[in-house]
Amino acid sequence: MRRRTFVGSLTGATVAGFAGCLSRDDDDSNGDDSSDDAELAGDPESGTLTIATYDSMIDGNDPAGPWLTEAFEAAFPDATLEWTAPDSGLNHYIQLEEQDASMEADLYLGANIDDLARIDDALGDGGLFRELDADRLDRADRIRDGLDMGDPHDRVLAFDTGYISLVYDETVVDEPETFDDLLDPAFEDALIAQNAQTSDPGQAFLLWTIDAYGEDGYLEYWDDLDENGVRILDSWSDSYYGAYMEEERPMIVSYSTDQVFASAEGNDLSRHQIAFLEGQGYANPEGMGVFERASNPALAYTFMDFVLSNDAQAEIAQRNVQFPAVADEYVDLDDEFDQYAHEPPEAVTVGYEQLRGNLDEWVDDWARERAGH
Amino acid sequence: MSTGGHLARVPAWLERHALTLAAIATGVILLVMLYLPVAVVFVESILDGGSATLSAFVDVLTDPFYVGALAEVFADPLGIVGHLDALVGWLVAISVSVTVVTIPGLGIPIPWLSVETPGVRMGLFGFTAYQAGLSTLASLALGLPAAYVLATYEFWGRRTIRSLTILPFVLPGILVAVGFYATFGQGGTINAILGVVGLGPYPFIEWNPLAIVIVAHAFYNAPLVARVTVAAWESVDVRSVETARSLGASRRRAFFDVVLPQLWPAILTGALLTFIFTFMTFPIVLALGGLQLATVEVWIYDRVQRLDFQTAATLAVLETIISLGLTYAYLRYESAQSGLSRAASAPPRRPLFPSLRVALAPKRLAVVCYGLLAVVVFVFPLASLVVGSVTDGSGVTLRHYRFLLDRQLEGQTFQTLPVPAIRNSLVFGLATLVVAVPMGVVISVLTTRTGRGGTVVDALAMLPLAVSGIVFGIGLLQGLVFGISLPGGWRLQVTGTVAIVAAHAVAAYPFVTRTVSPLLANLDPAMVESARSLGASRYRALRDVELPLVASGIVAGAAFAFAISIGEFSSTVILASGTDSYTMPVAVERYLGRRSGPALAMGTVLLFVTAASFVVIDRVGGRFER
Repeated sequence: MRRRTFVGSLTGATVAGFAGCLSRDDDDSNGDDSSDDAELAGDPESGTLTIATYDSMIDGNDPAGPWLTEAFEAAFPDATLEWTAPDSGLNHYIQLEEQDASMEADLYLGANIDDLARIDDALGDGGLFRELDADRLDRADRIRDGLDMGDPHDRVLAFDTGYISLVYDETVVDEPETFDDLLDPAFEDALIAQNAQTSDPGQAFLLWTIDAYGEDGYLEYWDDLDENGVRILDSWSDSYYGAYMEEERPMIVSYSTDQVFASAEGNDLSRHQIAFLEGQGYANPEGMGVFERASNPALAYTFMDFVLSNDAQAEIAQRNVQFPAVADEYVDLDDEFDQYAHEPPEAVTVGYEQLRGNLDEWVDDWARERAGH
Repeated sequence: MSTGGHLARVPAWLERHALTLAAIATGVILLVMLYLPVAVVFVESILDGGSATLSAFVDVLTDPFYVGALAEVFADPLGIVGHLDALVGWLVAISVSVTVVTIPGLGIPIPWLSVETPGVRMGLFGFTAYQAGLSTLASLALGLPAAYVLATYEFWGRRTIRSLTILPFVLPGILVAVGFYATFGQGGTINAILGVVGLGPYPFIEWNPLAIVIVAHAFYNAPLVARVTVAAWESVDVRSVETARSLGASRRRAFFDVVLPQLWPAILTGALLTFIFTFMTFPIVLALGGLQLATVEVWIYDRVQRLDFQTAATLAVLETIISLGLTYAYLRYESAQSGLSRAASAPPRRPLFPSLRVALAPKRLAVVCYGLLAVVVFVFPLASLVVGSVTDGSGVTLRHYRFLLDRQLEGQTFQTLPVPAIRNSLVFGLATLVVAVPMGVVISVLTTRTGRGGTVVDALAMLPLAVSGIVFGIGLLQGLVFGISLPGGWRLQVTGTVAIVAAHAVAAYPFVTRTVSPLLANLDPAMVESARSLGASRYRALRDVELPLVASGIVAGAAFAFAISIGEFSSTVILASGTDSYTMPVAVERYLGRRSGPALAMGTVLLFVTAASFVVIDRVGGRFER
């Protein structure tokens, strides 16, 4: 049946040439944009809300997206959720904004702090998302301290957070305790890190070293890491499922929630020990924001409040294997999760102000030295 | 005249103008799906805030990071004396010495000739070309023996193996990386086998990541070399060999003087394609080798991620110039090769193991050794993926496949379902075949026998191979998905299934052209001329005279077209975004998340579905060969 539709559309398009692909520019695409935020456009409990996010929110193993859809549509029967996950992620929307092309999505789920800096570097201060009015959200004050994401334009609210840490095999190496430990002969040729150009945990680990050694000292530290044989692979999945799981090396930059997976897969936990360097983990909070040109911002607010509810926080945390964004009393997690997800004694993050205008150069300088042929 | 008369004349009119119409259709597809998106990106390289400038090129060409030692030459192109001095100084500093090195782990000392050079900074382009050159050599070394075995011996399963040679082509990089780690890694298959005899474990990938990357490139490209060469080998005119033999040439002599010249264009096609592909390699080098093996394409991807389109476009233009330059040089060679008229009467194949005595002869033993090597390079990584899909940390399990089943039965509309992914892949693959084969043949016909002008057009027609997938994807996104503003408030947008098939066809037709052109160019032009003088239209002559004679090339090209479509990722994922026209490789990537099992299961499905289709395509196509 589908196949016939396909063949039909193919012939149709051949006959009509590309004429069918011509359309009038939609002049009023930013329709209600001018209206005051005091009067949020749209109906807060009905209509269609299109959420943009990344692949694993909707397509991975046991993702959060389908649960959110069912629960939200059950709570608000007149509302419909739609999801989209463009390949280039947030860049897709930055480009749409630059080209003033039509924006189908209302809300973005999964923006982190460096995304905000990137948006502003590309589009100017406070671009792409609306400034949020936290007073409209009943549950906004449940968000834990330290997860405010530091955006001067208050465009995003955290909905979960992960911590970058080291994962190591205790049968091969001892627990590293400081960054300097990693330069020790005991950890020679032991560590796998990821390319900060292409990988989120890779970039987070790089930023963590910048936090530790400053922008004047981090390159020197990395030279020393190179000396001690750090291995930098492309992405978290390549390096984890390849080099680490094939026992190529005993230590990898990964997430502090690693044991949640490892125990679910029946793996030996001795290969999945968590090390927090300097007693820290690098926090990577994920935020949600409403697009400036959203067609139904009122419903987007309703959804954000829903995401911060007890049940939603627990489901997102467990399915995404990240920590909830709200304080402990507002969420009930499975005992299993509590047992295997480790929270660092201290969380560090390089803030928006520092990232703005610097991030690209930091990563570029770092990558050029690693790739200096 | 009656209406019936009009109608009767339509087919005749169509037949007379078939070639023109096909050429126009090809032109339109290329214009919209290739030249427009590529132009959209390339224009960025010379635009800075609305005005044209070459500053981005100057920046790249004078940066030692990109071009290494050549940066000084580009910075001061007229300072010839200084550059020559530097070159002489470098040559003088070279020293050659003989040292003794021990093979790691075995303790056997061997003499080693070491050449000490003061070192040249290769830069990103230099390193990219270096690893591409090595990868090409490795692919030839692995691919040509396979072509020899497949073309000269008859053995059980030969046709199936021949069909499956194209399989590696369709695998997403992540699967290949996981397969290679599972094979060559410290806890991998090879070390397990060595462990049985008390050796190892050896960290092969750690020892020399470049070598493993090159083997992985050979995994992708040696089958391509083999396939192109086998197609040519099977159309070698056996009579010319017999003539040479009857005139007293030895078997070896006949091979070098008669067979090999007919194979050269195919071998060089394979080498050229391999070089271009590995020049533009991206996921494999990073996954196995890491940032220290970064290539130009890695940097293009990074620049795109950082929204620095100007540098990305500049690097892409330079990359394309190199690829197109190579293609042009090759095409000049190819067109100089014509003149050997050949009928497609394939040489007879000898049984591989007729008797035990023959099986122990040196030549057969060499074949067996090659077979073992091929098993290690090709079969182990694939088998590792399959094994990975049915195991988890605690043993054998089918739960990764149950994930696929559950997703199919209970998945929501916005999720990626396995069955539509399989169906889309197959439908797009067939549609691509239907569109790309005529396109490729039309371009072949238009460009053969037209001399140098034809060579230039032919080189330009190879543009899809020379432009990186990432850049093409950006062009499609900015040009066609976002749409281009036209005068009068109109906007041109091309998305959806039609666009996906067109993009696949654009990526695939050069393979048809490259497998058909050498054969077409070698046909005796007198055959076409006599058909034409007897009243056949140009199309008729093509259909009835030329095509049957180049059928082996068309079938080889068609199989490539299908494979390209199945394996295509970067433009599919962009054009399929937000629709239900995702394919199997897209599904593999989307299932990855933070567990590899479901992605490996989907990858295994991809492997089996495509393997089955290739066998079918080859069997069906085989009927038209001969």
